[in-house]
Amino acid sequence: MPTYNLYMGCSVPANYPNYEISMLKVAEALGIDLVYMEGVGCCGSPNLRAIDYFGWLLVNARTLAIAEKSGHDVVTPCNGCFGSLKDVHHFLLHNSEYRTRVNEELNSEGLEFTGRVRPRHFIEVLYTDIGIDAIREKVTRPLDGVGIAIHYGCHLLRPADVTEFDPAILDELVRVTGATVVEYPLWKQCCGATVLPVNEALAVRLARDKLKSIKEAGASFITVVCPACGNQLDLQQLGLKTSYGEVYDLPVLLYPQILALAMGMSEDEIGLEMNRVPAQPILEHLTG
Amino acid sequence: MSEAGEHSTTPVTLVDPIDISTLDPHFRNEIRSMPNGDDLYACFACTTCTAACPIACQWTYKPHQLIRMILLGMRNEVLSSKEIWECLTCFQCQERCPQGVRVTDIIFDCKNLAAEEGLVPENILGLGRQLLESGQLYQVTADWEREDLGLEPEVPGLDPEPMKAILHGTRTGRLVGGGD
Amino acid sequence: MVGPVLIVGAGVAGMTAAVELADAGVHTVLVERLSTVGGNALRLYKAFPTDDCFFCFEGNRWRPGIRKCFYRSALTDQPNIDLRVNTTVVDISGTPGSFTVRLRTEPTYVDPKKCILCGLCTTRSEAFKLSSPQCQPQTVSVDPTLLDDEARRVASECPTHAIDLDATPSEDTLVVSDIVIATGYHEFKPQGVQEYGYGEHPNIITQLELAEMLDPTGPSGGVLLRPSDGAPVERVMMVQCVGSRSVDHFPFCSKICCVFALKHANIIAQEHNGIRVDVVYMDIRTYDRHERYYRMARRAGVGFIRGRVSRVVPRDDGRLDVVIYDSLLDQYLQYEVDLFVLSSALEPSEGTAALISQLGLQDRSGFVAPVEDGSVDGVMAGDHVFVCGTALGPAEVPESVTQARAVVSRILQGGV
Repeated sequence: MPTYNLYMGCSVPANYPNYEISMLKVAEALGIDLVYMEGVGCCGSPNLRAIDYFGWLLVNARTLAIAEKSGHDVVTPCNGCFGSLKDVHHFLLHNSEYRTRVNEELNSEGLEFTGRVRPRHFIEVLYTDIGIDAIREKVTRPLDGVGIAIHYGCHLLRPADVTEFDPAILDELVRVTGATVVEYPLWKQCCGATVLPVNEALAVRLARDKLKSIKEAGASFITVVCPACGNQLDLQQLGLKTSYGEVYDLPVLLYPQILALAMGMSEDEIGLEMNRVPAQPILEHLTG
Repeated sequence: MSEAGEHSTTPVTLVDPIDISTLDPHFRNEIRSMPNGDDLYACFACTTCTAACPIACQWTYKPHQLIRMILLGMRNEVLSSKEIWECLTCFQCQERCPQGVRVTDIIFDCKNLAAEEGLVPENILGLGRQLLESGQLYQVTADWEREDLGLEPEVPGLDPEPMKAILHGTRTGRLVGGGD
Repeated sequence: MVGPVLIVGAGVAGMTAAVELADAGVHTVLVERLSTVGGNALRLYKAFPTDDCFFCFEGNRWRPGIRKCFYRSALTDQPNIDLRVNTTVVDISGTPGSFTVRLRTEPTYVDPKKCILCGLCTTRSEAFKLSSPQCQPQTVSVDPTLLDDEARRVASECPTHAIDLDATPSEDTLVVSDIVIATGYHEFKPQGVQEYGYGEHPNIITQLELAEMLDPTGPSGGVLLRPSDGAPVERVMMVQCVGSRSVDHFPFCSKICCVFALKHANIIAQEHNGIRVDVVYMDIRTYDRHERYYRMARRAGVGFIRGRVSRVVPRDDGRLDVVIYDSLLDQYLQYEVDLFVLSSALEPSEGTAALISQLGLQDRSGFVAPVEDGSVDGVMAGDHVFVCGTALGPAEVPESVTQARAVVSRILQGGV
């Protein structure tokens, strides 16, 4: 059974326990051993990176250095954490001056960053280490006929030389559930979550653009692999109803929720009632 | 005539150019010395970054103009701009740049320089304060939700203390005055 | 029957055509208006695409060595080349395949076969000078307007009796089978483009004038000094597309000025510590492999301003205040510069128009146009009339060489 260091970050456990539980359930069913990392916290992204680059390097290098003690790769369900860990990992591997400075600080805890464990997104582990074929075997209730629009999230895809993530991975993971991937023009566009603290109106407009593009393409659901993106696309639909009088009715599901449903798990097990835009009516309609 | 003499020394014109000698020629090197800033020089102002940016239409200074201003040495204008803080960090500009300029990374560098000068929007500073004081951006407030799903009410392994300790010794500590 | 072939112009294209025809056994008459071969390339200092001094370019495969040796060996060892410097074409008559050409040769006063470059005359009189250390034939040239009593005295003391100041112009008429036009280009002197003030202030110069200043064998030994007062240059500004791409001057892109300017900007940034260079441009057009010059320049810290010059105002301290509209920022910028360098258009050289009219050729913006139904190589200008190098329009050295070889190939195939 492959074992990983599970790095939850702060947002998933605080705001999206439904993401956390669905990931754990899917992992268990597929024989993935996720071990919560000890003594770690938030990654600080992207606000810490903006005001305190060195602090941000230290915090994330520390997480990676702790993982190095067990030697297992670090797995996270959050694009923000993934982006931070990947960026710091990449930067420190290519910049010996900063690596030395960071390790001087980590030394006080008896830690050292060498870069030998890799930060990975949970879905990439599903795809690479478990494989589409093994997942397909577990699909007992295919979501045939359900059109799903994928929002990958910026920090999963970019910068590509750092994240090394191929978007086709998520396409395949959606298709293996029996669902159809609905393509839409703004698939690469940001959800707007990061601009919320400084310009909320702009953040709302970005979410609106994205939702419109998805709705017009005819999707029934949106799937995301990031709590911040999920929050933005899900919650803003409620706001858009009042501010713009627009109703999108696009349930936003975290990817492991979709896979769990296809694997026959119940809605309660994966906390589907916590998703703000209700998914149940559409699911019932589509899957009979 | 004295009047004609005055006219001959200063051309009368409505154009009020930026005097290059008043700018900071070292700003470009300052950015180039920062993380991932070295390729700044390669910019040839094709404006691909602005074409890629989903929100540049809302900005006074477009991404290519920010890079241009760095190259020219318009340090104050860049570091006090609202644009650097509104950057979505979506990396579309950086991804498409045909010259390998790490535009988003450079905007992060600008924010760090702005922070060093205390030019941080209040809400971002607030997030910094939160990180310093609680060690996290988000804290579990509804632990019953976790319990309902069969998760432990407290996040296993979570320890916000190291983050607090680290940030007390770095710029965050100095910025939000929590270094005491 | 091929030959003799008349080649007009002994620059890169003309020299290449002459040498390769001669080496193939064809008698060639190579006519050059000036006293030395080499053309504009002689004044380029470093030339792209290899950044060698032009004369250190490779010759060709069967004459190994550099271009300087190539020229010298061709001119001294190749009996099939009849080089006539200081010579112009007076008129052309006859029919294709058998043209009658009348040439006029101004006196050179110095016999290159006798001159040993001892320096006696050049050190004592301004009338004698070595036009360039690289000149071919390797001989002293004479400026007849400066001949005075001292010059005559010096001439009589020449140890090899190489100087004959009583020489007179001569004319010659010959019959040739083919004519190759390789008359090259001239750098436009942009007095007519008023906003740049060329000709009104000594610190406003052209790129070819800058090339001479940068040349270590040039008058300032390669040090950049302000022409106005000899003060060291600290800031250089270049302006692209001066006269080019303008319906008022030259409607075409002069093609090589961008790379030319970038090459100079790089030389200044890399070899002249601390001199700031900025380039004002509309587009930087670095065709082919030359994009690397542009990137190199940016890495070296050369500033690039997309926009145009609003005004140039001379200051009392010898500098110029230059105001530029920066179209990327939508702002006006003001720079103080010591040297204001205009990347001026390339125009057809003197005499090209006369040849076009004498031979009844087509004209393309003043350059020689290839015939429309001609070959894909585009070097045929008429029946038994060929054109290569910058006589066709702006071109770089390797292009001129390639075109010259295409001409040679066509002539050897019977002039079709």
